[in-house]
Amino acid sequence: MDKKPKKVVVLPCSGIGKTYGALARETAYELVERVRPGVATLTCLPLLVINDPEARQLVVENPVITIDGCPRDCARKSLEALGEKAAEACQAIKFFTAHKDLKPEGLAQLNAAGQKLAKVTAEELAETVDRLAMEGDK
Amino acid sequence: MIDIQITKVGIVSCSGEGIPEGTLCRLACRKVLDELRPGETVTICLPLFIAGGEEERTFASRYPTITVDGCEKLCAAKATEMLSGKLSKSILIPEVLKKRGIAHPAKLRNFGPEEAPAVQAVAEEIAKAVDEVLEEG
Amino acid sequence: MEKFLETTYDKFIFRVKTDCFYTKDDFWVYLQGKIATVGVTDFQQKVRGDVVFLETIKPGTEAKQGQGIGTIETIKATFEILSPVTGKVVEVNPDMYENPYLINQDPYGTGWIYRIELTDPEGDKVGLLKAEDYFEVMKEKIDQEAKNLYG
Repeated sequence: MDKKPKKVVVLPCSGIGKTYGALARETAYELVERVRPGVATLTCLPLLVINDPEARQLVVENPVITIDGCPRDCARKSLEALGEKAAEACQAIKFFTAHKDLKPEGLAQLNAAGQKLAKVTAEELAETVDRLAMEGDK
Repeated sequence: MIDIQITKVGIVSCSGEGIPEGTLCRLACRKVLDELRPGETVTICLPLFIAGGEEERTFASRYPTITVDGCEKLCAAKATEMLSGKLSKSILIPEVLKKRGIAHPAKLRNFGPEEAPAVQAVAEEIAKAVDEVLEEG
Repeated sequence: MEKFLETTYDKFIFRVKTDCFYTKDDFWVYLQGKIATVGVTDFQQKVRGDVVFLETIKPGTEAKQGQGIGTIETIKATFEILSPVTGKVVEVNPDMYENPYLINQDPYGTGWIYRIELTDPEGDKVGLLKAEDYFEVMKEKIDQEAKNLYG
């Protein structure tokens, strides 16, 4: 029997104080809007914490990729605090270390290099999204 | 060292992923922090606050805090109340836009000149709230 | 149990571990007999930002107090690691290569950078600050940072 692809939830940390928080967010949007629309879907970290039922159901039933913008790893830790484990835990700083020619800057909005880095990283993460979507039951 | 500190106000922006008002919220909060009230405001990173960030929680429990939410789910307000017990003011962006007669932005990201009036209006409301909180002392 | 001196500015808590010595350049050293463990202070990691890369010298290399023994690149800047002591590097924290941000997460613990076998432990102490003295130096630096930001 063919496995039905699941949704893959992308959970950026949404950190407002750091450039890599903005990069985490932008990469998530690239995945959800352009690279894997219909498969990758976003949810919002605080929604999980205030027990929003839809958000909770999404992360319980589907694999989650967390993208954290700083060493505090808020998205990964908050998900674990809810009893769920990230299928893939990413750190936005490592996106930069893999592409040192694209240095992101900006807090609220990323510079051109940051936006390009988000695009490139989202394309690289597409394979992970595809694998998680096809893996079947969580 | 400054042991007697000038009171500052913490600003907690919602994360607002997946809605234009979430982006609007973040941009308006940054405008207040960087341009309108620098030196009087401090950003409280909501994800870090939620994840147990000692500095964020300690600040929010000792100093006045304003939450800014992009939608009626009021995540920033609820999470702040849940984790630090009090907030000074809660701003809801759809209410601000309605009050000022400004259309909701349509884009999720890459805001430009079209969205500038909305960002400015919300930032001004936040700045006004900061002034009121500081005055109340 | 670890003890710290603490001061707060805005939401930031700056810590100085009481059982270490320090340099004015914001490096700490913990002395155990002839072995010194070296790292970056909490103040330095907060001000410099999240660490992205680390370049270190190899075990076996000589280190001299005050001289450069590697570089740290953060999201904001690149700066030199200045050795607080004189001796021979015997170990580089193996976790640093994969996880350099341990310097930010736990600057006085898992974020240590080098272990150095000392040539002149008593002589080195002359160039080092006790925790309570570094605490005062750090508070002045915090004041200066605040003035730079807010005028």
